Order: sequence, then structure tokens, then C-alpha cells
Amino acid sequence: MKRIFLIGVLVLGMVLPGVALAQDAFKIGVVTSLSGDLATGGNVTKRGYDLWAKDVNARGGIEIQGKKYPVRLVYGDDQSQAAQAASAAERLSVQEKVDCVLGPYASGVTLAAAPVLEKYKIPMITGSAESPLIWRQNPPFKYTFGTIPPVNFTGSGVIKSLKALPDGPKTAVIYGTNDAFSKATAEAFQATAEKEGIKVLKFNIIPVKQDMTPLMSAAKALNPDLIAFGGHDEELINLVKALVQIDFTPRFLLMHYGVTEPAFIEALKKNADGVLGGSVWNVNMDIKGQIGWPTAKAYADAAMAEYKVPSDYTQAGCSAAGLAFEAALKQLAVPPPLDEAARTKLVSILEKIDIQTFYGRVKFAEEGEFYHSNAGLTPFTVQILDGKEMVVAPVGLAQAKLLYPLKPWKQR
Amino acid sequence: MLTLLPQAIIDGLLLGGIYLTVSIGFSLAYGVLHIIDFAVGEWIMLGAFLGLYLTAWTGWDAMLFLPAVFVVFAVVGWFTQPLIQRVTSGAKGRPVLMALVFTFGLALTFRGAAQTVFGIFTHSLPTELAAGSWYWELGPFMMTVPLVRLAGLVYALAITVGLTYLLKRTDLGLAIRAVAQHKDAAGLMGVNIQRTNAVVYSLYVGISAMTGVFIGAIISLNSGMGPDLSLFAFFVVVLAGMGYLPGVPWASFLLGLIQSFFLIFFNPSWTLLAVFTVLFLILLVSPTGLFRKGV
Repeated sequence: MKRIFLIGVLVLGMVLPGVALAQDAFKIGVVTSLSGDLATGGNVTKRGYDLWAKDVNARGGIEIQGKKYPVRLVYGDDQSQAAQAASAAERLSVQEKVDCVLGPYASGVTLAAAPVLEKYKIPMITGSAESPLIWRQNPPFKYTFGTIPPVNFTGSGVIKSLKALPDGPKTAVIYGTNDAFSKATAEAFQATAEKEGIKVLKFNIIPVKQDMTPLMSAAKALNPDLIAFGGHDEELINLVKALVQIDFTPRFLLMHYGVTEPAFIEALKKNADGVLGGSVWNVNMDIKGQIGWPTAKAYADAAMAEYKVPSDYTQAGCSAAGLAFEAALKQLAVPPPLDEAARTKLVSILEKIDIQTFYGRVKFAEEGEFYHSNAGLTPFTVQILDGKEMVVAPVGLAQAKLLYPLKPWKQR
Repeated sequence: MLTLLPQAIIDGLLLGGIYLTVSIGFSLAYGVLHIIDFAVGEWIMLGAFLGLYLTAWTGWDAMLFLPAVFVVFAVVGWFTQPLIQRVTSGAKGRPVLMALVFTFGLALTFRGAAQTVFGIFTHSLPTELAAGSWYWELGPFMMTVPLVRLAGLVYALAITVGLTYLLKRTDLGLAIRAVAQHKDAAGLMGVNIQRTNAVVYSLYVGISAMTGVFIGAIISLNSGMGPDLSLFAFFVVVLAGMGYLPGVPWASFLLGLIQSFFLIFFNPSWTLLAVFTVLFLILLVSPTGLFRKGV
């Protein structure tokens, strides 16, 4: 009797979870950097994805044929390494059998995860990766989408807005670290600067985590108006510290991504002031959402209540990636789990989707240079002013006046 | 560009100073205890975080906490050493390998714990020194010396001189050297081996933790900073000759100078390639380090 009971329990134990979980919820994989060098940014993406999952589940889930299905996120840590991203994507596809995937924080690891998901025909939306390389593959990644426009789109806008100033930069020194995103950022800065008639005195790609003081010494000797740098959070902090240490204040300091991350201001305090960046979203923007959070502010408040940190555009882009899946899955109207045919159909729905969210318009490009990245947003220039991230250009969106030249470090 | 020559030399020496601070304790631990401590980066990280919390609580300058950080971690080191002793001695054999595995495990544990407790964000240690610098212009040459880096170099040299004095001129140093040369014979001459080892390890951990405060002030700190530092400490010590303490400053400065010259005068993309090519070539010609004095 005892033995039969035990066998019964075992059989039930094996059958029940499969039945219960596979049918009642959408299983959405997340590949991102929860550890390793890029864990700071990886956790920003995690906050964005988690917040969306919490929000959609609080609303009862995604309605399919009159029944509401909640979403369940299954994480795969890419450890900030491309090889691990590929194996995490493989695990989520084969073992976890996820319906779709929310993508990594960094571009390098996204480029490694995308081919695996392509192989298993699983749609992915990344809410963070910005390298144009992701959208320029040949053949293109049919199953990969992104809510943040590539950096050659956002980064070029910033340079143009600086050039438009009455006393804008005439010379520049441009550096980038050697990873997919940072290199693309530096190259975008260089291409736009040259096109806008800013003389590029020096352009270098440097190894990741390189001590930057000697580089800044070389820059100091050239005395450029603008120093523009493509890199990730820790490198940005180290670069500002190197500039402070050798006491060189260029008239403009531009870093694109990372200045909007709360850790940047926290670590540098008053030395963060005046640093410029490019962005596509900001808590103070007047945006109305039709799905999920009604306004940018409502989103920021919800995030603040949950995590006690201000939201940046990466976190918002990640939550918006969730909203895009939510809208597309609703249109697909197929209950979970999704088979290959349903997932392929989901891709064609995503290609057509055009929604207004708290993050702005989400409309993926169907062709061209920005294939499958979000073409619905307007890039703008931000500046850290009194420890807050403010939009300073273009004119229509600006919340404050662009402050320049940069205040010398020693007078702060 | 030659106007930058003095600057390149200064930047290289100051960067070398950072490597020296990272490697000197590591070399001591290997030279005396025969332990390749892959947790060195994590000791540095933990020291940096203690500095960060102390400055956040008190609002004082980070440099004021160097002695406190040293004392706290010297005590921690004192109590950690018997664990390593236990793993590396006895009937298990292969002490070098066992120590490597143990300290590697220690490193993983510390890093994981730090990520959970301190979070993943990058921080910076506030110090008044960070904003200070000296600047000269001499004819066509210009030079800037960042004070905080200079302080790092002075600290590194002071530690090196202090350790050399300790080893060469004191009774404790004699005992340490005796244990390093022949443990059993030293024991028979009345040297308390366990205590000597514990002193060396606590010195090493204390020094590494203080180094963390400098690294946090000069560069930045986060819970994942350890592995890169451990790796660089290892390179420096291999280049200096494993266990040969006087070689460490030269190896550090060489690595610093190669980097600053490549960053300023050549293609910065090749910096790491240059560093490792030089390392490789030197080891090819002289496998026991720059001075052929290593193990």
C-alpha cells in the first residue's frame, strides 16, 4: 500500500507541474547579464522586465479568447559573456521551451543569443541593445526586435544639437572601448562630427577596462572643445575621474549611454554635472500610453515604489519591450504554449505593430538600415544638471537650457 | 607629440604604482607561504567597500581610514590563515594546488557575497586628493601629476621599503625568511611556524585591503572588480619572478610604462597586446622572471 502511495505521489509530481504550468501562463525567457562586468546594466534591464511582468499580471494577464493568461519570466544569466548568452538562449529554447524571449542588456551578448533563437524560431525583443550591427546582419535576424533605436541614430542627434549651438564645438577627441556597443557609439560620433564639420583630432578604440589617464593626458595636449566617449557605466565613471585627476575640463563632455544611469551621478556627485548624453526617453516627458502605464510619470512612480531608484531609458525600453509582446500576443490570440507556426505568426504581427506606450511609440522598422529596431522615437540630448537628468535639445522637447562650457573641476 | 614624453613617463610610473600596490602583498604571500592567492582581488575589493562605508557613515576623507582598514583586515587575515594551513598541510599532499583551489573558492564566495550585500553598482571613494594636481610647463613640455595617483605611488613605495626592512633587518623578518627557505629546519631552530605564517598572511590581507581604498579613490570600485586585479597581480609577480620581492616594483613600472607609451604615442587598441607580447617574450628568454631570481 505504502509503495503504491509513493509511486502515485511520484507520478503526480511528474505530471502535475507540466500540465499546470505549460497551459496556464505565457512562459517568457529573459537572457541578460545578472553577473559579470555588465551586471549593473543587466540589473537595470531586469528591473524593466520584472516591472512589466508584475504590471501585466496585476491586470490579470494577457486576454486570449476570453481567458486571461499571466506571464511567467524565466531568467538565463549570460554572465556578461557572449558564449554564456548563446548557451542561456539554448537552454531557454530547448529545456524551458519558452514562448518568446526578452533580450540582453549588452549588444555583444545580444549578437550571440540572436542566432540561437533564430535557429529555434523564437521571437526576441531586446529592450536595451543599441549596436547597429544587430540590425545589419546578412541575412537579417528575422526573429529579433529592439525597442531602443540603434546608437548611430540616437548618437548622431546629440552631435548635431551641439553643433547647432551659437558657440558649438569645432574640434573633438573621440574614444570608444572595444565592445560592440561602445565601438558603434564612437564610430557614430566620429561619422556625425566629420559630417557636421567638427574636426576630429584623435579617434581611438581602446581595450575594455583600460586605465584612461594617459589617454586623457594626450587629449589635454590637443585641447579639444569636445571629448566624446563610447563606453559602459564603470568606464564612464573612470573617464570622468581621470579627467578630474589630470585637471582637464573640455568645453563639452559627451558620453551617450550611462550618464542616465543613477549609479553615474551617485558615484561622481558634483563632477557628474554638465556631462551630456543621448537618450530617447525621460521621466519628465509628456507621453500618453494606450497600453500599460498611462504616462511616463506613472511608470517612473511605479518603478520608484518598487525599486527605490529613478528610471532611465534602458529600464523603460525593457518594460516597453514587454508591452510590445503583450500587444502582439493579444492580437495573435493563441493560448500558450505557442508552437512554431504561432511564433512565426507572432513575428509578422510584431512587424506590423504600432502602439503608443508610456515610453513613446513602438513601431519596428520593416526594412533598411534599422530593420526590426524601433523607428517610432525621436532622439534627444540630455545633460546632468544639479544631479538630475534633463532634456536640453532639440528645442521642442527641451526642459532646460544646455549648460556650456563645462564648469572647471577645481571650481566645483 | 614628443612634448608629451615626460607626461608619458609620469603616467606610466603612476600606473605602475597602482600595479605595485596590487602585487606586493601577493608576492609576499607566495614568497613566504607558497600560496598563489587568487583571492587577492577580492581582499582589495572588500577593503575598498569597508572604506566606502566608513566614509559614507562619517563623511571624512577616505585616506583617513587606511589604518582602520588595515587593522580590520589584518585581524580577518589572522583568522583565515589557519584555514589555509589546514588545507595545504597534512596528509592531503599537493599544497600549492590545494591553496590555489582554496583561495579560488574564497574569491568566488567573497565576490558572490559582495554582490548580494553591496549590490552591483560602481562607486567612487571620495577624497580631497582626487581633485588636486600639480602642473608644469617647461619650454615645449607639459606635465600634470595627479595628487591621488602620486599618493598611491608613495604608498606603494612605502609598503615596499617597509616590507624589505621587515624582512632584512628584524628578527621577525629573519624568522619569515627562514620559514620560506626551509620550514622544517626553521621549526627545529625554534621558530613558531604557525604564528609566523599567520603574521605574514594577516600583513598581506591588511595591505591588500588598504590598496582597495587607493584603487577606489584613484579608479573606482564595484563587487566584480576582483578577478582583473588578481590576474594583473599574477602577471606582475610572474614577470618579477615568482616570490622575488625586489623584482615587483620593476615589473610593475615596466607594465605601467608600456601601457602609457602605447596609449599616448602608438595605437591604444594595441595596448594589451603589447603588454602581453612583452610578458611572453621576457618569459621565453628568462622563464624565472626579469631578474632570473624567481622560483
